[in-house]
Amino acid sequence: MTPDAAAARPRDAIDCDLHCAPASMDVLLPYLDDYWRSYIDDATIRLGDLSYPAGAATSGGPAPAAYEDLAPLLDRDATRAAVLSCVVLDGVHRNPHYAAAVATAINDWLRDAWLARDPRLRAGIVVSTLDVPSAVQEIERLADDPRFVQVLLPVRSDVPYGNRLYHPLYAAAERNGLRIALHAWGRAGAAPSTTGIAPTYLEDYLSNVHIAEVQLLSLVAEGVFATFPELAVVFAECGFTWLPSLLWRFDKDWKGVWREVPWVSDRPSAVVRRHVRLTTAPAQLPRSPTEVAEVLEMVGPEMLLYASDAPHDHGTSGGALLRDLGAAGVEAILRGNAEAFYRRSVA
Amino acid sequence: MTRTEVDARGRRADVARAVTLVDCDIHPVMLPAEQQRRLTTRWARHLERYGRRAPHVTDLYPRPRNKGMRADSWPEGGVPGSDYDLLRAQLLDEHDVDFGILLCLNAQDSGYDPPGFAADLNRALNDWLVEEWLDRDDRLRASICVPHDHPDLAVAEIERRAEDDRFVQVLFPAGGQEPFGAARYQPVYEAAAAHGLPVAFHTGGYTGHRGTGWPSFYLEEHTSYGVVMQMVLTSLVCSGMFARVPSLKVVLTEGGALWAAALRWRLDEAWARLRDETPELERPPSEYIDDHVWYDTQPMEEPDDPAHFMAVVEQARMADRLMFATDYPHWDFDSPAQALPRGIPKGLRAKVTHATACDLYGLPRERHDS
Amino acid sequence: MKVVVSRLADFPPGERRIVKAGARSIGVFRVEDEFFAIRNRCPHQGGPLCQGRLSPWAVASGPGQVRMEGPPRLVACPWHGWEYDLETGQSFMGPGETRVKAYEVAVERGDRLGEDARPGDARAPVPAAARAAGREPGPYVAETFSVYVEEDYVVVDV
Repeated sequence: MTPDAAAARPRDAIDCDLHCAPASMDVLLPYLDDYWRSYIDDATIRLGDLSYPAGAATSGGPAPAAYEDLAPLLDRDATRAAVLSCVVLDGVHRNPHYAAAVATAINDWLRDAWLARDPRLRAGIVVSTLDVPSAVQEIERLADDPRFVQVLLPVRSDVPYGNRLYHPLYAAAERNGLRIALHAWGRAGAAPSTTGIAPTYLEDYLSNVHIAEVQLLSLVAEGVFATFPELAVVFAECGFTWLPSLLWRFDKDWKGVWREVPWVSDRPSAVVRRHVRLTTAPAQLPRSPTEVAEVLEMVGPEMLLYASDAPHDHGTSGGALLRDLGAAGVEAILRGNAEAFYRRSVA
Repeated sequence: MTRTEVDARGRRADVARAVTLVDCDIHPVMLPAEQQRRLTTRWARHLERYGRRAPHVTDLYPRPRNKGMRADSWPEGGVPGSDYDLLRAQLLDEHDVDFGILLCLNAQDSGYDPPGFAADLNRALNDWLVEEWLDRDDRLRASICVPHDHPDLAVAEIERRAEDDRFVQVLFPAGGQEPFGAARYQPVYEAAAAHGLPVAFHTGGYTGHRGTGWPSFYLEEHTSYGVVMQMVLTSLVCSGMFARVPSLKVVLTEGGALWAAALRWRLDEAWARLRDETPELERPPSEYIDDHVWYDTQPMEEPDDPAHFMAVVEQARMADRLMFATDYPHWDFDSPAQALPRGIPKGLRAKVTHATACDLYGLPRERHDS
Repeated sequence: MKVVVSRLADFPPGERRIVKAGARSIGVFRVEDEFFAIRNRCPHQGGPLCQGRLSPWAVASGPGQVRMEGPPRLVACPWHGWEYDLETGQSFMGPGETRVKAYEVAVERGDRLGEDARPGDARAPVPAAARAAGREPGPYVAETFSVYVEEDYVVVDV
């Protein structure tokens, strides 16, 4: 981690996005049945994907593979609570049953190896969207465990997230008081190019913003929040400085073509402010403190949930985020917004 | 702005007047019959029998409001943009437009047509622009339409038109077979740059909706015009195209503009961490953007607080890069009289309404009625 | 100032007339058996509002479940499609915008506008259909005028 990033670490925060990952598929095997163990043993299966190349500076190193790797960081920063994102299910596989089985295994591993070890830890329920009924089943299986606070989905998808095919998943989340997290990356081969492959990691990395923007439009336009008024969504690791100009555009266009989507009866920006939040890493902020203050005012500090995104290291501008806010703004971003956002207790 | 003076015998005196308005995005429409009769026999017959294979964007996402056009822009028996006289009256004369840049969107190739067909479609289109528009009104300038996914053919068309200085730029859609930073397009950019012609990317084309899948509604499609431009610009910068073609100038048209502030920040921050992957980018991405990119205003973003508009223009360092456009005759047309936010400083207003476009396109600062 | 629009018999339901009153252009609409008048200039960017399409409210009980409700009393500007209620001139694009890019409203109160309206009062009651559509009044209000039927003529009071 860069020295500046180290200096910018806040204390006593609710960390809404940080990573863990099993060291290999072997770690998950005990949580799978005979059939899947046999399948994995015989097949070219591996965990993980292309989202965080080991040598890329932004990857920051491997995600903690065991609680013992993470605990010192939590203690160092006096972290009040931390919401784990385990994104290793992201990948190019298409077999919905495999994906559902591995998701189940990951969630069981999260409970045993992480949530049981430290009362500060929370997690997102890992599901695959290849088969929505299986995802609903998994949500229901874990819904009684209060340490799961959200359903974790990759921001990149085969079908935009507002689409009706996901609505049973949102229904399950809503009735169980779980939030939806749309996390950067997802399927390699889902870069927004005509081939789905970005020629450089730099361009692929930046694409998470563009994909998040389109997903936000879909959630609102398809009436997800009209249908599920208790639902809320957090965009994790997708940046946030892109939000104001998109909302100005969205509101203006809605005024002209609302008849195409008459279930969107309120301005899109109002819907977004009620139902959507964004994590603070990557911050993607300018250098000038004046401009940082401007963009924070346009975004609205109430929209932001603090995240370390450990071990990822996106650069130094995250330090600017809290530096010039008053105490109230800092309190909101580090703790208050998360407490208000999560319907389940995070701290 | 002064009108032409008339002398005692009623003859118009030649009066120079300052240019005050350049409209950087006007859409003439070429009717299919017009194009058909200009094609070579082989391709005319091909078009007549088999039509065009690529779907039209207005079928993918039907424009649900006023059929996508200003409802008052339909000429008698025609379609909006197809009638010079109505366009002249309703736009050029009504709003005192000094220069109007034509971007014809409806008749180029799709990027997926057979190469010979693609070349002929664009040649016919450019011929029509000359005969039916440029020759009829000296206020008009045009964009060279090219078969962008066939670089040799595109370069040939640029060479064919470059000497006519009423063609002021080369037109690309916002989506092609590859991202527009890809190497295949470099010869086209080089040819444009060699002739001092900016390359204008205009909303449209086929972007494939990878990364999310297909949206359902035109509202999403229209709102994401700016997102598509962010992808185009990200590709151009990250590929190193601006480093490789140092004299390339790019205009981003009909994607709005204010998103560029956040884009510059995130490109710079990412490059700082990942620059060893792209050693060709020797400077921060924002510097390439500031050197190479211009933006049209339309569709003008309308923040609730007009002060935010100016703030973001400053954040994006685009005061010298923003150019007014109406997008006539589309439904989201920006009126020159009304669209710019109140409270824009006079100096900026002058740049946006004409000065920046005059500099970029080599247009005179004064006009003489002939 | 009263402007005679036309003979009643010459102004069938579903039609509209554009009249000039001094420098102002005004659109007069007959919707079934009611008359409305609205300034022919959109507060947004000055488009010819009264040439626009008339529609009723579209009310959705959920995504994809839409019914049309009430008579066609919303006129959509032919430019950007922003819509205004013929009776009140009210747009319905949401409350709470911090700056209003609208021009001043002079609403002539006639017998159409409800008991709680007052002369010069810029806040109009929300029509039931708009409420059904879940809409809040927005900041743009188009200028409206009172229309009377005197003997057999349609007259607008400017």
